[in-house]
Amino acid sequence: MDSAMASVFEALAKLGPATFVVKAIVAAVAGDVLLIGFILLRRAYRKRYFARRDARVFEFREKWGAIISGEIPYRAWRKNAFKRRIVEEIALNELDTANSKESARLLRFLRSSGLIEKRIFEARRHRGWRRRNALVALGRTRAPEGIHALADALRDDDNENRLAALRGLGRMASPEAAMEILAWLAEHGIQVPALPLQSALINCCRERPQVLIPYLQHGTGEVREVLARVMSEVASPGLGENLMNLAEDDLPELRAAAARAMPTTNTYQAMETLTQLAKDQVWYVRLRAVVALGKIKNPEATPLLIEALGDASRLVRARAGEAVVAQPGDLLAIFERVVELGDRYGLHAYLAALENAAMRPKLEAELKNCIRLSAEEKIRLEQALESGKLPATQAMTAAMAGADR
Amino acid sequence: MRGLAELLDAANRSLFVYYLLSNLAYLAALIIAFKTTAAHQHRLQSTRPDWIGDSPLAPPITILAPAHNEEKSIRIAVRSLLELEYPEIELIVINDGSRDRTMEELRDEFQLRPVRPVYVQVAPSARVRGFYRSTVDPRLVVVDKDAGGSKADAVNAGLNAATSPYVCIVDSDSLLERDALRRIMVPVMADPARVVGVGGIIRVLNGSELQGGQIRRVRLPRKGIEIVQVVEYLRAFLIGREAWAQGNMLMIISGAFGLFRTDLVRAVGGYRSKSIGEDFDLVARLHRHLLEKKADYKIQFVPDPVCWTEVPGDLRSLARQRGRWHKGLLDVLLPNKDMLFRRRYGRVGFLALPYLWIFELFAPVIELGGLLTIAVAAFLGMLSEHFLVQFLLYGYVFATMISIGSVLQEELTYKRYNDWQDVAKLLSVCFLEHFPYRQLHMYWRLKGLWEYMRGDLSWKPLKRQGMQEGPAG
Repeated sequence: MDSAMASVFEALAKLGPATFVVKAIVAAVAGDVLLIGFILLRRAYRKRYFARRDARVFEFREKWGAIISGEIPYRAWRKNAFKRRIVEEIALNELDTANSKESARLLRFLRSSGLIEKRIFEARRHRGWRRRNALVALGRTRAPEGIHALADALRDDDNENRLAALRGLGRMASPEAAMEILAWLAEHGIQVPALPLQSALINCCRERPQVLIPYLQHGTGEVREVLARVMSEVASPGLGENLMNLAEDDLPELRAAAARAMPTTNTYQAMETLTQLAKDQVWYVRLRAVVALGKIKNPEATPLLIEALGDASRLVRARAGEAVVAQPGDLLAIFERVVELGDRYGLHAYLAALENAAMRPKLEAELKNCIRLSAEEKIRLEQALESGKLPATQAMTAAMAGADR
Repeated sequence: MRGLAELLDAANRSLFVYYLLSNLAYLAALIIAFKTTAAHQHRLQSTRPDWIGDSPLAPPITILAPAHNEEKSIRIAVRSLLELEYPEIELIVINDGSRDRTMEELRDEFQLRPVRPVYVQVAPSARVRGFYRSTVDPRLVVVDKDAGGSKADAVNAGLNAATSPYVCIVDSDSLLERDALRRIMVPVMADPARVVGVGGIIRVLNGSELQGGQIRRVRLPRKGIEIVQVVEYLRAFLIGREAWAQGNMLMIISGAFGLFRTDLVRAVGGYRSKSIGEDFDLVARLHRHLLEKKADYKIQFVPDPVCWTEVPGDLRSLARQRGRWHKGLLDVLLPNKDMLFRRRYGRVGFLALPYLWIFELFAPVIELGGLLTIAVAAFLGMLSEHFLVQFLLYGYVFATMISIGSVLQEELTYKRYNDWQDVAKLLSVCFLEHFPYRQLHMYWRLKGLWEYMRGDLSWKPLKRQGMQEGPAG
């Protein structure tokens, strides 16, 4: 090591700064010339390429009907990779926005021309970015025969290829694709970022959310959390009992997911469970429960939501405020109860939501026209509405309770 | 005399080594940037930003747009921000004590009504006069506040009112591309637990044509001084930031477009109100906070979410801007000097900060020192003219190579400048920027340092044209 270092220093010393600088100049000039040359050549090449491509796209567009009907024989464009890529690109772009009838027609064309088979072959045979391209194209076709090739690619060593496969399966939006993803998840755990995984599963499980249940029951840790979040998005009324079980789970993430899904189930059961969850130890479970209670829009939930205005978490209070404002029922009576709650943070959250929903004028009008309340009571409420502060007596009580959050 | 000759010789040699190291650092950054960008381009084939738009799980973002005397451009800017493609956004425009019609423009265009949001003063900010929400688009909230004398103060007010888990800080005189939020969220969605901040690329708006609050045609600016800035921005973002972010040593997320986790920005107390380089300061404090907590985190840069911004079109404004940037650099480096070479601050303390001290902060001082020693050596007849010419030539062609490298980066990847003329102009600027622009730049930065030493931390306004339909700038 020492001798090597010594020889490097010796060589540098022999060169001397001037010689070294000359060499550096030559190298840098060569670098400049090469870079500029590359830029100019690349531009010229790309200009030619795109002109050629544009002409070909135009030509194919003109004959598009004949191409997909097979009037122009497939072999006329299939053997040439350049032409094949253009035809495939046009077909896939159309497929992205096609209605069901048109989709079926395009899919028939992709099958009969052998383009899908070719992509399946490439997705199985190739590695690296070539495989990724095949996976992306296969996903865009939404052809069920591609599911197994995509599922195989979930086991690829390359994270980007796994993501491409996952996204492709997500586009299939079928329970079969969901089964493949779930089996892989059970086998390997979470090997991709949670969000694309959840998105793919949400797409695939929407039709049959029941496929999630066994994996939710037998999964562990983060996998269960991800599946619970998916469940909360795709839950259907038939899953009521499973959701009840989730609501009693030890993992807060699962209880939060159950709360989120609850509005899809029977209202009576949902109310009962959400009442429990709104008092959970963990703030985000309470948050989900409050949001869900707001969605149900059941007048019975109003007292619970008003109570949540006094929650220790600022976010829960804000959501509770929004939910209370959107609740059906007598606006003035609700406001009276909010003031009675005696929580200045709760009052603020309610007033913020009221003003955001542009409902303050309505409350003011109701308060003005109310004959039920005494003049003194009206003034008290008007002051609370105007100042956003609790009436003096309640403020004192709250202060004594030391409710400073 | 002999002693002086030796001293001058040593100074010249040191200068040479300094330039050599600086250029090698840039070359290394260029190579890393090429590699990273290629990987990013491949990644976009499988991870398209549109799945974020489709996802019901995409976290909400609060956009914070401070505005101070922006009457000319505020309508277009806010409309453009509201049109961003993202599932759930809240836009908080902070009117920072504008003396012109900024508030009236907002009120007229978006029909604002007073509201009382939940406002918790976590980050220090000047007094808030009122909060308003738009009846036209309820996602828009306007915070009207007293002038705090800095962008940091205004952003802090917005931060206190933000309700989303992520805040995106933008300049209200800049223009984000429609899919910029989706693209900037790609790293967050890929690793939400670790990614705490992401910066996007800032590009020069001058010269481009606008329509409906969006860029209709990207063109290079007409003025030479603006084109030089295009090359500078390409070099800074497509090479510098791309490379530093690779090692999780990104120290600056531009204040014109950056995304952060709200809880962390609040945890460090928001922006430092009195800081001059508030964007750099925030990232430095985030690094410090997270490294002290031994957190596993990433601060990233993504080159494709684009924010277009108007750059100074006259020398006076440019001089002020560059002087201020350099003041900001010193203003952040000084209080963080205890992070240097301390093990707990890892690569930030051993690489990123020393680099900034030596090759950014001291660069104009060393450059000036170099010029002086050369002048003294020449005066005393001790200068080897042969060596001087070679040395200058070397510095010239190497720096040109780095600039051309940044143009190539742009060509290989994002290719926003499609006209041959534009590319020819960019390449020409790579050769021409070294004289006299570079010397002027050195002077402006030295002036900034001098002003900082004298305690002149005032903010001097830059002359701007504002966003208008048709060709900009």
